[in-house]
Parts: sequence; structure tokens; C-alpha cells
Amino acid sequence: MRLKNRTKFEICGLNQEKNLNFLSKKVFLQEIDRKSKTQTSFVCSYFDRKKAKKILEENNVKIEKIQNFGPVYNLKRLLSSYGAISAIVIFFVAYILQSQFILQFDIVGVESFSKTEIVNFISKNYSHFKPKIDTKTIETDLLDKFEKISFASCMIKGQTLVINIKEKVLPEEMYGTFPPILASNDGKITQINLISGTLNVKVGDFVKKGDVLVEPYTVDTSGSIKKVEAKAEILAEVYNEAEVSHSEHFVEVVRTGRYVERNEIKLFGLVIYSYKEKIPYKMYEVEREDVKLNKNVLLPFTMEKVRVYELVENVIETKFEDVKDEFVEKARQKALENVKNYDKIKEEFYTISNQADLTFVRYCIVTEENLGVYYDN
Amino acid sequence: MFNFFAEIKDNLKNPKGLEFEGFNLINMSGHLLYVEGHLGLVTLSKELVSFKVKGGVVMVEGSEMILAELSENTIKICGKIKKVEQV
Repeated sequence: MRLKNRTKFEICGLNQEKNLNFLSKKVFLQEIDRKSKTQTSFVCSYFDRKKAKKILEENNVKIEKIQNFGPVYNLKRLLSSYGAISAIVIFFVAYILQSQFILQFDIVGVESFSKTEIVNFISKNYSHFKPKIDTKTIETDLLDKFEKISFASCMIKGQTLVINIKEKVLPEEMYGTFPPILASNDGKITQINLISGTLNVKVGDFVKKGDVLVEPYTVDTSGSIKKVEAKAEILAEVYNEAEVSHSEHFVEVVRTGRYVERNEIKLFGLVIYSYKEKIPYKMYEVEREDVKLNKNVLLPFTMEKVRVYELVENVIETKFEDVKDEFVEKARQKALENVKNYDKIKEEFYTISNQADLTFVRYCIVTEENLGVYYDN
Repeated sequence: MFNFFAEIKDNLKNPKGLEFEGFNLINMSGHLLYVEGHLGLVTLSKELVSFKVKGGVVMVEGSEMILAELSENTIKICGKIKKVEQV
């Protein structure tokens, strides 16, 4: 009977009848076979094997062999001896079970609000069990729940729920008010390339710096005003002017070369020693210089050197005609300092005017510039 | 529950008032000997099995004998049984 759970003992020793008698009082014995005078085998229930073994050991009977039979023993051996196999089987079962659940979320395309909001919404309202997840329902519910979402697509990839989101993009007109285009300089409009907005000037107009060139709105046929961004390219002739003056009597102040020194030695700002000559000049100018006397950090002596130079005034008389070219060039250089765009100088001219003893040279450089904000994508 | 030995004892009139309470022993075709009420195994070999009973020792002679079962008070001997003797 292979289905019976049995244990076969093979024992060795003398006077085995006594041992068998003692054992049979506790355990039901079967198939007792006396192989020789000192060797006997018997069978008992598998469940009594521990009791039988204990009795035999207590009676100092040598057990040569123990064999187990039956389904219980085989199952136990499978679970113990084949632990690795059991572990693998259990692992695969567990893996298959857990692979049926969503473990993480991958949300793509969210910028203006938090991803955790979407994760919390899905975790709260939907099962993590994959067969129960309907991606179409999630997509629809996301669109209903979040107003900022314009498109949502869901996909189960392994144990990840991938959600691709596209947020609503507002047109630029919805972002607020737009500034008008103002003239960046004085000038005469020569060319207009309007992209959006309403023009406030036309070709040939003279404008001043700060004048509104393009208004940030349009008026449709029904008369209603619609806000738009003012975009245009407005070219104009810009007049860059500069003026210099000439006087026929010019007083020049120069140093004579004589000077006196007035020196002081200081420590921590306190004057330790001073040497001061009297200033004998009616007109003078002063030069000061601080000199460190040593490199000692603890006692930083410094000397303040003061030189007083003598000055004299010389009256110079020059006729404008003699220095005209020089003054015109001065005026031109001064005008060029105001020019922003040297490549597009269209015209240059100057005017001369007199007032009392003074002669004024006014130089003008005409350039072509973009007065408005240049729009470029 | 049906007991074979109790039935036999009831059917026998036992006119002489003999003692029946010691042990019971049945030999089936010389191939199986069933014993009830033994008091312990004395000898065990393939040719001879003897065990104590109340009032003596029973000796079973034969060949290729094994003890098919042994419990506290029953014995089942299988093999070729030639002789059963109480001494």
C-alpha cells in the first residue's frame, strides 16, 4: 500500500524480542522480519516514527536505517528538500499576482499645475488592478476634472500608467494689454511696414521722440476695438544735430611753471608733521597726492604732497574765418556722437550763425533709422 | 461490534467450566496465525516464534515466518506454519 504513510526501521542488537515487546506496547508494529540473530526490520506508522525512534534510543538499540514512505513524507520532502523549487514557484506566483497591478504613474506634458494632483485623482477614483482599468474613462474624466487640460491619453505599459497630457494654450491676445510703439528719436517718416495694430502716422510726417507711432489695437468693420500687439517696422530720417560756438576774444589760462609745496605727514589720519609754504600767487591750481612712507601695517605713515601751481590768463584773439574748418569738424564729431546707425548716413550739412561776439556752428547728419520696435519671429 | 472469539465462546456450552479468559489463537490454513492476549514475545526467527501467554509459552514452528503485526496484546504471524504447541 504505497498510499500508507509508513516508516521502516532496521535495528541491530541482542535480545531484540525484549525491545520489540517494549516497543509494541507504545507503537503498533508491522512486518517484523528477523533477518539474522542481531538484525531485525519492522514497519510502523509514519506518524509514530519519532516515538519509536525515541524508545529505541532510550533502550540503546542501534538503528541502522530508517526509511519513510507515503504521500505525507513525499510532500514534506518536497517542501524541505526542494525549498529552492518551492521558492521559485512561490516567486512566480507572487510575480504574476503583483504584475496585475499598477505600481507607478508616468505623467508627461504637465507644466502649469502639479503632477501629484493627477496622481491623487487617479489613485482616489480608480482601481490599481489592471484588468479593471479603463483608459478611455480616465482620459474623459481627466478632461472633465482639469480645465487646463485640452488633451489626455492613457496607456498601460508594464506596471506603469503612462498619461500624456497637453495643456490648453491661450492665444497671445489673452495675455493682457500691449504697449504702443513709440518713436525712439526725432525724425521724418520715410517708410512704414505695418504687421499688426493701427498706424498713428503716415509717410512724410515729422515725429518727436516719444510720439505714438502704432496703437495696440485694430478696429474691425463693425467698429469694435480688438486688442492686438503692435508690430511694425517704421523707417525715418533722423536729424542728428550738434552745435559749437566760437568767440573772437578767448581767455586762455595756463601754468607759469612756478609752484610751492605744502606737505603733511600723517599717522591714522592725524597730522604728525607739516611743512607749508605761503602761497604767493594770485591765481593758482592745486594738485594733491598721498604717498605711503613705509610698508609697516602697524604704523602706516603717509605723506600728503600738495603742489600749488601759479596760473596766468592770456587773452587770445582769433578770427572765425581762420579756425572755421576746425570748428566745423568739431561740430561734426559732436553730431556723430548722437548717430546710432553709421551705415545709413543719407546727408550732412551745417549752418553758421552770429550773435554778438559769438559764432555758432550747427552741424546736422541725416540718417535712416527704424524708429519703432522691429518685429522679427 | 462483532467479535469472532466472543461468538465462539457463547456458542460453546462449556459444560466443564473451563477457563476461556487467557488467550485466543487461530490458525488460518497454516499460513497465518492470529493471537490475542499474548504477554510478550520470547523468540523470533524465521523457523520459530514463541510468545508468553497466561499459563505458559506458545511455540510456533514453521518456515519463512515473519511477524506481520505486533501490538500490545495481538500477534499476526505469516509464513508456513507447521506446528503450534503450548508448553
